[in-house]
Amino acid sequence: MNKFILSKKLYRNELATFYSFLIGFLIAIIVGSIILLIQSKNPFDVFSLMLKLSIGSVNSLSNSLNKAIPLILAGLGIAIINSVKLWNIGAEGQIFFGAIALNFVYINTSIENSYLYIFLLLASGFIGGSVCILLPALSKVLFGVNEIITTLLTNYIVFGLTIYLINGVWKDPNSLNFPAAAYVSESVYLPTVFGKLSSGFLICILFTLIAYYIKDKSVFGYEMRIAGGSALTAIYAGISAKQKAFIAMLIGGGFAGLAGAIELLSQTHRVSTGISQGFGYTAIIVAAITGMRPLGIFLVGSLFGALAIGGSVIQTIGVSSYISEIIQATTLFGALIAQFFFSYEIKRVEDD
Amino acid sequence: MIDIQFLGLINATLQAATLLFIAALGELIAEKSGVLNLGVEGMISIGAVSGFITAINTENLFLSILVGIVSASLFSSIHAFVTVVLKQDQTVSGLILTILGLSLSSLIGKKYVGKKLNTKLEGVFDIENPSNIIEIILGQNIIFYIAIILMIVTAFVLKRTMFGRRIEAVGEDLKSADSMGLKIGKTQFIATCVGGAFAGLSGVYLTLSYVPYWTDGMTSGRGWIALALVIFGGWKPYRTAFGALLFGFLEALGPRLQTYGFEMSPYIVKITPYVITILVLIVLTIIKNGNTGAPKNIGIPFFRENR
Repeated sequence: MNKFILSKKLYRNELATFYSFLIGFLIAIIVGSIILLIQSKNPFDVFSLMLKLSIGSVNSLSNSLNKAIPLILAGLGIAIINSVKLWNIGAEGQIFFGAIALNFVYINTSIENSYLYIFLLLASGFIGGSVCILLPALSKVLFGVNEIITTLLTNYIVFGLTIYLINGVWKDPNSLNFPAAAYVSESVYLPTVFGKLSSGFLICILFTLIAYYIKDKSVFGYEMRIAGGSALTAIYAGISAKQKAFIAMLIGGGFAGLAGAIELLSQTHRVSTGISQGFGYTAIIVAAITGMRPLGIFLVGSLFGALAIGGSVIQTIGVSSYISEIIQATTLFGALIAQFFFSYEIKRVEDD
Repeated sequence: MIDIQFLGLINATLQAATLLFIAALGELIAEKSGVLNLGVEGMISIGAVSGFITAINTENLFLSILVGIVSASLFSSIHAFVTVVLKQDQTVSGLILTILGLSLSSLIGKKYVGKKLNTKLEGVFDIENPSNIIEIILGQNIIFYIAIILMIVTAFVLKRTMFGRRIEAVGEDLKSADSMGLKIGKTQFIATCVGGAFAGLSGVYLTLSYVPYWTDGMTSGRGWIALALVIFGGWKPYRTAFGALLFGFLEALGPRLQTYGFEMSPYIVKITPYVITILVLIVLTIIKNGNTGAPKNIGIPFFRENR
């Protein structure tokens, strides 16, 4: 009788993650098509419209890349924290808190030089993101509290805080129907570089390189991997795993906070509930699908930015924008399925 | 003489606790077998929307409950397939299950936002104007009683039956379980889908009784509080039920603080359950010195090396 056994492949294709992503994306497009067909929409029409309106012109392409900025930055933050094998599910809250911190500093300071001011505001966004993850980080390294649950729950807390602020102390009296804080001055808007493309995208490129350096090239990144890999090795190497974890979490939170700051200075220009539309959650998919690789996050983040723009424009022809989110999530499930075939092989053996 | 406000608080506590408890109990079963499923929020959402849609279209509440349970369970089988059969990362898969569940239920439920149910789950015993705690308890609907039965049955099955011991063996010591010839994959797969079914029931309770309507994101983090509850309960059904009552009480207390003389912004009141959950988790972990009693193999995919 024949029996099937599973064995781990000795050599894993170097491009396995990339191929898995492609296969996952293909599966997701098929699933998306089926959902569209059920809703009696022609998938070909919908997808070609999405393509046209997300990358078809300079304007739409810059919209897509603008949308990619928070996905990439938050994704990079998640990847840095994952170097120590911890999860940051709180990027959504950190994005909001970055914007809140920016507005707090903006209200209480005034600097003539607008470049210097923008720099200060962006920095306060970064610090805001770090502050936002402080409680989960401290409780993790000091007491071992599960960081997945604490970072996730901070999302709800920060979102509640945002609503409290824009309906209370920060409420703009001129914004009657839609609660929001007052607009920031036009002098601190992030300038555009090309079409509608925000200079935030340049910051995004810079931080992709920084994240790549921190994670893959720096001594700190190496120590993070050891700290995350094996507690014993870390002790032998004289590395304080807790210290590395703590610093990684603060940096990672800062990346997401910066995303919120850029979103405020380039898109919304004020604190409102529109600072993030689930970017922090999509960023988890972006980071996980690339195996936490900064350059991959940059590429997949850009693609998912286009998908999000495509999803928002097809609402005009009566297709739900949730189709984009479903495609994003299904891509990761598809990629996980493909990963299996790159990591394992099924062998047939003779049973005795 | 007990005043009406206090009775209202007790009633709200029981309802909030029922919702959290059923989902937490399901997660407890999955985690006992070593499968961490972070998709609770998504599974509740799927159960909630499918149950609600069935109720609107058929007005058959029994069928609605069944549809909610089955669809959430089927949905959780994605997680079981990816993590148990394909041995992929449980954290990633669970998180995506939540994201997918929330967006999928928003898509399915779009046409049903704002629709009103003609039939809502009523109390098992017909009690008008309850005047004491016993009448409040008797006035709860069928799912409340199912939750109590599930608690007793789950505790019994886990401790006293072969199936329960098998789940525990798999969750605590994979290698021994494997050498004893236990079917690890099958056990974990079933445990995960049972967990999904429980989350579905919790979702149905949300849309057919607790709220009762459908709107995007209405699960509002309850799946995550349920995950915290499992830790709080130390992976034990009765202690989890106690935790659910505590969390339910705090959730119910928030909006009522004003009537007891505390002035608080309603926006701040809304975030108190999440703040309290985090604080409780921290205090609990400190008390237990970091050892919360989690099953040893939680999160580790089983792979039998070549022999």
